[in-house]
Amino acid sequence: MTELPRFSARNLAIGYIAVSIAVLALFATPLWLEWNRRIEGARTESLREDSQRLSEVFHRDGLAGLAGAIDAEVGRRLRSGEKLLLLADDSRTRLAGNLPEWPPGIADSPGMHTGWTTVAGTPMSISLFAARLPGGYRLLVGRDVTRFRAMESFFWYGLLGASGIILVLGVLSGWMVRRALLGEVQGISRTASAIVAGDLSRRLPIRGGAHELDILAQTINRMLEQIEHLLHGVRNVSNAIAHDLRTPLAELRSRLEELLVTRPPPEEVLGGIESAVADVDRVIGIFNALLRLAEIESCARRSGFVEVDLAKVAAEAAEFYQPLAELKGVKLSFESAGVQTVAGDPLLLAQAIGNLIDNALKFAPLHGAITIAAARRHGGMVEIAVSDDGPGIPDAEKPRVSQRFYRGDASRGTPGVGLGLSLVEGVARLHGGALELADNRPGLRATLVVSPS
Amino acid sequence: MKVLLVEDNERVANFVKKGLVEAGHTIDHADNGRDGMFLAASEPYDVIVMDRLLPGGIDGLGIIAALRKSGSKVPILILSALSEVDERIRGLQSGGDDYLVKPFAFGELLARLDALVRRSQDQGAETTLVVDDLSMDLLSRKVTRGGKPVALQPREFKLLEYLMRHANQVVTRTMLLENVWDYRFDPQTNVVDVHVSKLRHKIDAGFARPLLRTIRNAGYMLTADD
Repeated sequence: MTELPRFSARNLAIGYIAVSIAVLALFATPLWLEWNRRIEGARTESLREDSQRLSEVFHRDGLAGLAGAIDAEVGRRLRSGEKLLLLADDSRTRLAGNLPEWPPGIADSPGMHTGWTTVAGTPMSISLFAARLPGGYRLLVGRDVTRFRAMESFFWYGLLGASGIILVLGVLSGWMVRRALLGEVQGISRTASAIVAGDLSRRLPIRGGAHELDILAQTINRMLEQIEHLLHGVRNVSNAIAHDLRTPLAELRSRLEELLVTRPPPEEVLGGIESAVADVDRVIGIFNALLRLAEIESCARRSGFVEVDLAKVAAEAAEFYQPLAELKGVKLSFESAGVQTVAGDPLLLAQAIGNLIDNALKFAPLHGAITIAAARRHGGMVEIAVSDDGPGIPDAEKPRVSQRFYRGDASRGTPGVGLGLSLVEGVARLHGGALELADNRPGLRATLVVSPS
Repeated sequence: MKVLLVEDNERVANFVKKGLVEAGHTIDHADNGRDGMFLAASEPYDVIVMDRLLPGGIDGLGIIAALRKSGSKVPILILSALSEVDERIRGLQSGGDDYLVKPFAFGELLARLDALVRRSQDQGAETTLVVDDLSMDLLSRKVTRGGKPVALQPREFKLLEYLMRHANQVVTRTMLLENVWDYRFDPQTNVVDVHVSKLRHKIDAGFARPLLRTIRNAGYMLTADD
């Protein structure tokens, strides 16, 4: 098992955890602040009221009256949960109340104070309101808020616990995502390795049901399809080249060997050599056509594009082939709806249209008719359609005729090496178009489609 | 004519040398760029045949560029195995006058050299071309043979004009395709032959002496000579 980078899954988990905790904090903080504000507010209010009430007692009944009232209200012993009261003199010495002494850490300035005190060995959280009475006396009115502290810690522990759960879930889901991803990636990697090893027919599994990685798998499969197709094409072409070059080379060889063996008189030798040169020229012709095709297909020539009137190019090609058509008793006609400007290479376009007319002339019957029509399509593409009334191409053969060296049944016994339509297709593609083959009933309608820009 | 051949491949050089000598021309040969540059700069030649890839520090295009920079107007034919259209364009842009791709037929080379030399010699702008009793008026675009008018299509006129400008020279099918139709491809069929025979029918039919001859394995020649 190959170790794959865990970067993506780990970062995903960290991000997920951080975001979740942030959301939690965002939700809890205002809640906490609001809760605190209200409780504190209510508490302060009631302590202030108590202190007010006791101050009135002091004003009305004096120190002894207040001490009596305090004793009557809370006694001398402090119990948890109870109201806290303390009356002290200006040196903070207890005069009355249930607090045993002035709690340490509580200032004697008037207002709210919070702090701790110890009652029977247990710490008690207290909230106090301090007030001053005339004569330097001090009054503390308070509450035991220990039970609220418990609620606070409950809140904080809850928050902590939630964060913990998020952390665990985050790590767990991160690990699970990583495991799932790893599985998928390893599947792809295994298939790719098999392909590298030479098994080009392998494809990635598609699970269906709109799985995210299916999109990737489908794209890769399409790519593999194309690669296999191209490789297949290359193999076919190599075979075809080997085969098509072997024939003239074999003829050449036997011709030369025959001269060598039979040693005929000089005139015949010269004739033989002449035929041999013609054989070589055929081989050179095939090479030139192949090189030209490769040059076109490598799409390196768009730099030489100029504005071309495709209708004019077609008209000139029609004119060029006219005498040949007359000689063969074929009616060659050209029709166009005016200027059809495209961006292109005039030489290549002329050659492509020439090849189409050449083909049509090859297959048109005696007294047949060939029509060359230039037109602009809906959407701006420009087409040159060359229609003949020859034998046509069976539907099954149509996709194959533009392959290099492919020669259909109808072309047996005609000159040519089967590169003509490949070149037309190459030129069409270079010009952002296509070669379309359709039935002319009877015959073939070959259309060179070219993009206007 | 006096030809300089700059070519490092011995076999190709011998083949061209023999052919040119047999055709009655004088030929100097350099098998590297340095010698080629030296000869081209010091001797007057009617035409130079230049290979592109050469040993000796300077390649064919470099020599041509240097010659053109020094003001030389000698016609130069580039001979190269680099067949891509872009290479051809580069060759002509560097100052070459014609570009022939290897492997080539000797007849093609000879015909193109003749055409280059002819082109560099007649600078005058004639208004009438005459071959024997065939006459072409370039201004009124009228053609007569033996005083009788010959009716020609525009393209036939252009074809005949090219043949008349290169009268008494062999003109190949490729040269006709390039110069009359501006096509740079080899049609699978014998279209050029059909065009020429149609033209021949118009100018030669009914006359005792045919002017437009077919030269076997090479092309055509318009001539009054036998």
